[in-house]
Parts: sequence; C-alpha cells; structure tokens
Amino acid sequence: MKKKKLYLPVLLAVFMLVTALTGCGGSDSHKVTKAKDLPGARIGVQVGTTGDSFVTENYEKKKGTDIQRYDKGADAVQALKQGKIDTVVIDDQVAKAFAEKNPDIKILDEDLVVEQYATVFAKGNDELREKFNKGLAAIKADGTLDKITDTWINKKGKYHYKKKVKNGPKLVIASSIDFPPYESFDGKGDIVGFDVEMLYAVTDHMGVSVEIQNIQFDSIIAAVDAGKADIGVSGFTITEDRKKSIDFSDSYIDTAQVMLVKGSGSDGAASFAEKIHNNFVKDGRWHYLLRGLGITLLITFFAVILGILFGFLLAVIRVAYDKNGSLRFLNYLAKLYLTIVRGTPVMVQLLIIYYVVFASVNINKVFVAVVAFGLNSAAYVAEIIRSGIMSIDDGQFEAGKSLGLKFHTVMIYVILPQAFKNVLPALANEFISLLKETSISGYIGLSDLTRGGQTIQSLTYDALLPLGAVAIVYLVLVVGLSTLVGKLEKNLKKNER
Amino acid sequence: MAEIMMEIRGLTKRYGDHTVLENIDLDVKKGEVIAIIGPSGCGKSTFIRTLDLLEKPTAGHIMIDGEDLNDPKTNVDEILPRIGMVFQQFNLFSNMTIKRNITFAPVHHKLMNQQQADEKAMELLERIGLADKADAYPSQLSGGQKQRVAIARSLAMNPEIILFDEPTSALDPEMVGEVLNIMRELAEEGMTMIVVTHEMGFAREVANRVLFIDEKVIKEDGTPEEVFHHPKNERLKEFLSSVLH
Ligand SMILES: Nc1ncnc2c1ncn2[C@@H]1O[C@H](COP(=O)(O)OP(=O)(O)OP(=O)(O)O)[C@@H](O)[C@H]1O
Ligand SMILES: [Mg+2]
Repeated sequence: MKKKKLYLPVLLAVFMLVTALTGCGGSDSHKVTKAKDLPGARIGVQVGTTGDSFVTENYEKKKGTDIQRYDKGADAVQALKQGKIDTVVIDDQVAKAFAEKNPDIKILDEDLVVEQYATVFAKGNDELREKFNKGLAAIKADGTLDKITDTWINKKGKYHYKKKVKNGPKLVIASSIDFPPYESFDGKGDIVGFDVEMLYAVTDHMGVSVEIQNIQFDSIIAAVDAGKADIGVSGFTITEDRKKSIDFSDSYIDTAQVMLVKGSGSDGAASFAEKIHNNFVKDGRWHYLLRGLGITLLITFFAVILGILFGFLLAVIRVAYDKNGSLRFLNYLAKLYLTIVRGTPVMVQLLIIYYVVFASVNINKVFVAVVAFGLNSAAYVAEIIRSGIMSIDDGQFEAGKSLGLKFHTVMIYVILPQAFKNVLPALANEFISLLKETSISGYIGLSDLTRGGQTIQSLTYDALLPLGAVAIVYLVLVVGLSTLVGKLEKNLKKNER
Repeated sequence: MAEIMMEIRGLTKRYGDHTVLENIDLDVKKGEVIAIIGPSGCGKSTFIRTLDLLEKPTAGHIMIDGEDLNDPKTNVDEILPRIGMVFQQFNLFSNMTIKRNITFAPVHHKLMNQQQADEKAMELLERIGLADKADAYPSQLSGGQKQRVAIARSLAMNPEIILFDEPTSALDPEMVGEVLNIMRELAEEGMTMIVVTHEMGFAREVANRVLFIDEKVIKEDGTPEEVFHHPKNERLKEFLSSVLH
C-alpha cells in the first residue's frame, strides 16, 4: 500500500528532472546565419528526408556537428524553438508553413540543394507507373497542376481540386500525414495538401479511387516494396539511393532545402486557456484522443484474450512435460517460442508481423496489432502461469490421482484455480504493461491514443498539452486497473481464508 | 479363509541404481489391517505408494481381481478409484470447501449424483464430528480435523482398501487420538487397510498383522503378538528397542 502513495510524487520528480535535463540543460548554442555556419552546429532533420541525407553527407564528419533526427518535421521545429538545436534543414515549402505558424522562427535566405519530388512505385510495377505518368502529363498540360501549385505553394488563389472517382478499382496510397503543405490533417481530420490534390487529379485521369494510409515516412518505401501500398506519395525527392529499391514517377514539383533558425519574433505567448482551447476544443481535436483511446483499448482487450488463451496452452504443454515427461516435442517448440519472443523487442515483432508475416495480404491493422501484442504477451503469460502451477504442492496432484482423477481433471478443477489466484497480481501487471506497450501501434499506421496526441502536436506545434494529456489518460487507466485488481485479489483471499 | 483381495508378486522399485524394494511378495486378505513398521528411509512410503501407482514399480505385479496394475494393458482408471489413500500431509484440495472435497471425486466418477453425494458427505461429516465445517475451507481447520476429512474423502468413494502413509506423524500429539479412533472404528467395521505408522501402540492394538520392512525386503511378517513380543529378526529386535524406549 505504501508504494502506491509514493507513486505520484516520484513520478512527478522524475518528470521534472527529465524536463530540466533535456529542456534547459542544452549544450552550448551556435549561431547559424548562413550555410557556412553548419559545420559544428546542432542540426535537426526529419529522418529519411533529403535534408537528412544532405546534412549527413556534408556535415556529419565535421567536428562538433550534432545531427538530431526526428520522426516528424514538427518535432524538429519544436526542438528548435526550445533551443535544443540551432537550425532545422528541411524542404522550403514545409519551412514556409512552419514559419507562418511560428512567428519566432525564420527561414534563412539561402537554398542548400534543389531537388525534384516524385511518387514511388514498387520495382517492376511499370504498368501502374506509366499510367500514373500519363495522368501527370495530362494535368501538367491542362493547367490543373499549376493551379494546385498556386493555391498550396504560392499561396494565391482559392482553387481546390475535388476527387471525382470515388468508387471502383482502388489504389492504396502510403503517405506520412505530417508534412504541410504537401500532406497534413485539416481541423476535421481530413487529409489535405498539395500532394493530395495532385494525386486526386492524376488518379481521376486514371479512372481509379484511392485510399490514403498514414504511414511513418521512413516506412513508406518498405510498405510499397512489400505490396502493402501501391504508391508512396509523401514529398519524395528523387535520389540515386532510393532508385535502388523503388521506381520513381516523373517529377511533379521542384523544391529546395533551406535552413530554419530561431528568429527574434515572439511566440505570441498564448494564455493557458487559449492553449487548452487550441489543443483540444478547436475543431473538435479531442476526438483524436478519444478515437485513439478506443483503438488502444480495443487492441489491448483482444490482445489480452489472445495472450491468455495461447499463454495458457503454452504453460500447460510446459507443465505436462515437467510433471509427466509427456509432449516432449511440443515442449521443445514452446521453449523455442518463449526464447524468441522474450528475447526480441515487441516493436521489432510488430514490424515483422506487419511487413513480413502479413506482407502480401491487405489486412485490418487492428487485427495485426492484436496478433502481434497477443502473441508477445502469451510468452510472458505462459511463464507466469507455469510458475503458478509449479508453486502448487505436489500433494494436490497426488491426492487427485489417488481418487482416480485424471491429470487434466486435477489440473482444471484443483491446480489451475489455485495457480490462477497466486499469479493474479503478476498477470495483471503483465496486462497493464501490455496496455502501455500498444503505444507503439503508430508505427504500423494505427491512430491509437499516443498517435492521437502526436497528431494534435503536429497541428498545434505544442508538445506539452497533447502529450501530457496522453500521459494522464494512460496513468488514469493504469492506476484504475491496479486498484481494481487489488480489490479482486482481496475478495479472492477472503473466499478462501 | 478370507478371500485374497490384493496379490503382490516380485515387486521391485529402483531409483536409477539405487534399489529401494527388491522382489516383495505379499497377499492382502479382505478385512485385514496391516501395519508396516521399519526404520526411516527403509522404503515404507515407497512401498505403499507403488500400490496406488503414485510411484511406478520397476518390476513385479500388483493383482486385484485378476488384473495387474503394473501391466500397461490394464485399464487402471477403473481400478484406482477402488483404492483409497490417506497422506501424512492430508492434501485436501485447498480451493474447495470441505463438503466439495468429499463429493468431487464420486460425482466426477458418476458413482452418485450431486444430491446423493451431498447426503453421503453430511453423513460422513456427522460421523467424524465435523458437520459444522461442511462449508469451511481446509485452511480453517486444525491438522487433526483435516486428516479426519481426508479419511472421509477417501471413504466417499466406497473403496475396497485404504492405504495410510503415516497419517498421524504431522499432527500435534493431542490430535493423534481423534484420528486413530476413526481408523480403529474402520478396522472394526471390516475395512481392509494398510497403514505405515510410527504409532507402535496402534500397530499392537488395532492391526491384526504387522510387517517389518528393512534392507529392501519384508524382514518379518506376523501377528502383533509375534512381532512385538517374540521378534525373531535381529534388526527388528534392535528397531523395537530403539522405538519402544
Ligand atoms: N524420487 C526419489 N528419487 C530417488 N530416491 C528416492 C526417491 N524417493 C525416495 N527415494 C529413496 O528411497 C528410499 C526410501 O524412501 P521412503 O520415503 O520410501 O522411506 P520411508 O521408509 O517412508 O522413510 P520415512 O520413515 O522417513 O518416511 C530412501 O533412501 C529415499 O532416499
Ligand atoms: Mg515415509
């Protein structure tokens, strides 16, 4: 009981410590005003982008250069604003979008590299690629692409292209929806941007409908390569490296890499109430959290069921071997399974199950997550239940046998109820950690609770409120579940003693 | 001559190279109360546990009604329920009430329905003086009470023979009597029993046959009078002088 009271203060202390260390204790800053200042600077990039490879190639080896790779451009901008890095190297259009929303950062007037954007296709998928190129040529010829460019890139004109073909044959599009003005969520949760309208126009020419899946940028090429998606549309720059694993369409826009730095403008410090409004109330943004919570709970619930059923089976196989020497081969397989699952990170298992095991089938992602987390949890459940069974006195088995009861009868009616009661706390802890582990579901493109918070973050460029809210929801769930289990345990004890 | 209910021939038990019992022959007659005595570690428990297949005999035959328990072809599931066993550590099912401990096996084997089993359980509990504990759990009982329930549990199966492995050794001295009294009553009713015991008084008064096991074999086999008052074997004489003083 004492532990529980300690829990919150300790948590807060750790939280503050971490904030202090990462937020305020930044290393010596280094002013960047032109490209010549980049060596030795702390440079932020979005992982896997042109900015990343440009900076890595040219500056990584330079003394004192510290390259920070972020999953999202918005995270890099956040870090810049907090003074954790000196500059962000990023596509100019994206940089403009950030600079517009954040008065305290500015773009340096110097292009680093000019590059071309194109969409990506699996190697050898020439038929689809050629059809796409034809459609692209058509919208270039009839002026549609120019109009879309005016709206999104040059910020003049109100033209918006609306998708016409919404049924019939469908293409699955992989895109990392965190890259305005190319692709991002609008307030209503719809996917919008330059790439999106370009895609709509081209695919209308092809006569097909599209389904856009939100996939982490550095996973898109793998998804296209594995056949999980037909086309990757996410502001991809044509590079020789990428050409080795995928094919590019013709280019649809030229862009440059630029440097973002902290400017003199103020953040326009919004009041706390304004921030709350902006992060949760405006455009119904709290829905991202609510829907995310639903998905998190759904995955956890079914993963727990799968974990119990399969874990149970594994435990019984192991015990049958330990007690009777039977099922030798199955026991061997079970042991192998436990070693592999407990010896590798659940994140890697999730990615393998999504990209390898279910590579060639277009399958519901919640199902994939349930399978991955359920199979992972089963390994831990199995060992917990097994230790519970082994802790029951052999005399209980012998008494059953002396009454002429079979092994499985004694197991079901005598041993398991006792074992279950003994391991209930351990099992509950396993499921509580499972709930937390599902927070990596975003890596296969699921919009779970954590991803919901990140989505709000990418809309508002505020980290504390959305992520804090996510943390609080997890905390409430975990503490609530722990309390419930404690009560259940007490009841079980009362029943028997 | 009473009929023979269990015929043991050439029973041998080894753990690896270590032989615990060698070539034991024994006929158990119906209604006999056999006490088994012998020094610690001589194999008394091992012997009695092989008769219920809690230990697998290395060799030999255990014949009941012409069927051999140690023959892989025999359907032991039909024979084992007819042999009761009472353990030193009671081994009541901790997750079940006292009543359910008694009714579970007979109902599971379809010897009776739940209602009949409940009635029988209450009868047995009356008899051992624990009717008020029917809904209690084993952890709420004293050692002597648990052992009485364990006896009732094996009686509920209507066994033809009950094996006891030191049923009073784990009890506080003041509780030994209540358990021995029930065993004495069973003996008087004609129940066939084999009892491994350190209670020489019980062996002398209640048993009608006493076996002395030592050095892997039955060294002496006779009435209590013969074994306790006219021991022939030297090791038995030593053993008796060590336990009786
Ligand atoms: N599972 C086992 N593996 C190896 N040796 C065993 C095993 N069980 C018993 N033994 C050995 O068999 C011998 C007989 O043991 P057993 O328990 O039958 O003796 P006992 O006569 O009942 O002794 P006690 O009076 O102390 O209960 C002992 O030497 C013991 O070490
Ligand atoms: Mg013993």
